[in-house]
Amino acid sequence: MIEMLSAPQFWVDVFKIILIDLLLSGDNAVVIALACRNLPEAQRRKGILYGVGGAIGLRIVLTFFAVSLLALPYLKLVGAFLLIWIGIKLLLPDDEHAEGNIKAETQLWGAIKTIIVADFVMSLDNVLGVAAVANGNVWLLVFGLLISIPMIAWSSQLVLKLIDRFPIIIFGGGALLGYVAGEMLVTEALFKPLVEAQHALHWLIPLSCAVLVVVLGKWLAARKLATAKVLDLVDEQVAAHSHDKSN
Amino acid sequence: MKILIPVDGSVNAVRAVEYGIAYAAALKVAPEIFLINVQWKIATGNVKLFINQETINEYYREQGAAALAQARVKMDEAGIAYTFHISVGTPAEAIVLYAQEHKIELIMMSAHGEASLATLLLGSVAGKVVQLAKTPVLLVK
Repeated sequence: MIEMLSAPQFWVDVFKIILIDLLLSGDNAVVIALACRNLPEAQRRKGILYGVGGAIGLRIVLTFFAVSLLALPYLKLVGAFLLIWIGIKLLLPDDEHAEGNIKAETQLWGAIKTIIVADFVMSLDNVLGVAAVANGNVWLLVFGLLISIPMIAWSSQLVLKLIDRFPIIIFGGGALLGYVAGEMLVTEALFKPLVEAQHALHWLIPLSCAVLVVVLGKWLAARKLATAKVLDLVDEQVAAHSHDKSN
Repeated sequence: MKILIPVDGSVNAVRAVEYGIAYAAALKVAPEIFLINVQWKIATGNVKLFINQETINEYYREQGAAALAQARVKMDEAGIAYTFHISVGTPAEAIVLYAQEHKIELIMMSAHGEASLATLLLGSVAGKVVQLAKTPVLLVK
């Protein structure tokens, strides 16, 4: 443990995990806050508490599941391609989904179910990213989990503000996911003989994957039509000398 | 004259509104005053798979109304006509866009809004508005 802390690679990995957690966790916080909105006041706190608890439990299970899956042959290949796709998707502008027919949950269990199902779907990218960086190191895995937990419950406004101020961070995130995907490819048992023979591949493959994500992401983003980024929600006028507070 | 006062619910924003009221009183012709609050668009594509749009909008509306509340009280007390508006998007960009759409002639805002660690590190909305706006911007210190 102590030797690990003094190795620069460990801190590089810690930084990678924080960036991945930060960029891929925001949505979960929003779902938790919104899923409980339509509950009766008294049940809201309970809903949030159980929802966060369930989401954390689920994430622990998913992380260890992902790690054991990645130990199987060929699955690193699949994981690497998924990560490249996740990286590209990070660079694309927000998809305006057609409004689905989702009904607002007014029951406690319904809200908790929404939170947990949403967390399952939306944490897969995050879990895969962290598992890829950790590459079997249990300490890094646990660290990644611990870091992601406050982010599940935290407001995602910070991430939005960060991206607004430093747009480059999103490209950094995309490139990082590509790089991590490349590192996963290099460690895939299938390619072991090849990588051993050509040592330069150790950094050449991750680097090419990072470039691939950024170039492909930018190209696809440019092809997408820019959607209206500002939504007007309320527009009302108040007449002079009216003390009417009804609107 | 059309004056836009962006507010975020902070004490500083209320001070900007007070300044605006005093400023309006000093003008020969009463200006049209617009209040705007911008909510960060926190619900992206994935969230919409699980939460319906009505709930999301209701959330923005509630947060926006809360941010506008104190500023509206000040305006009501002064007995001045005004328009208030809630947008969802990136604050500085939404403010500047609204100003363009409504042919605003002066944007009046607090130099520092919500004081938080994030603002300290990331810079203020006012700074970005000054940079993007085509109209004069008056910063209330």
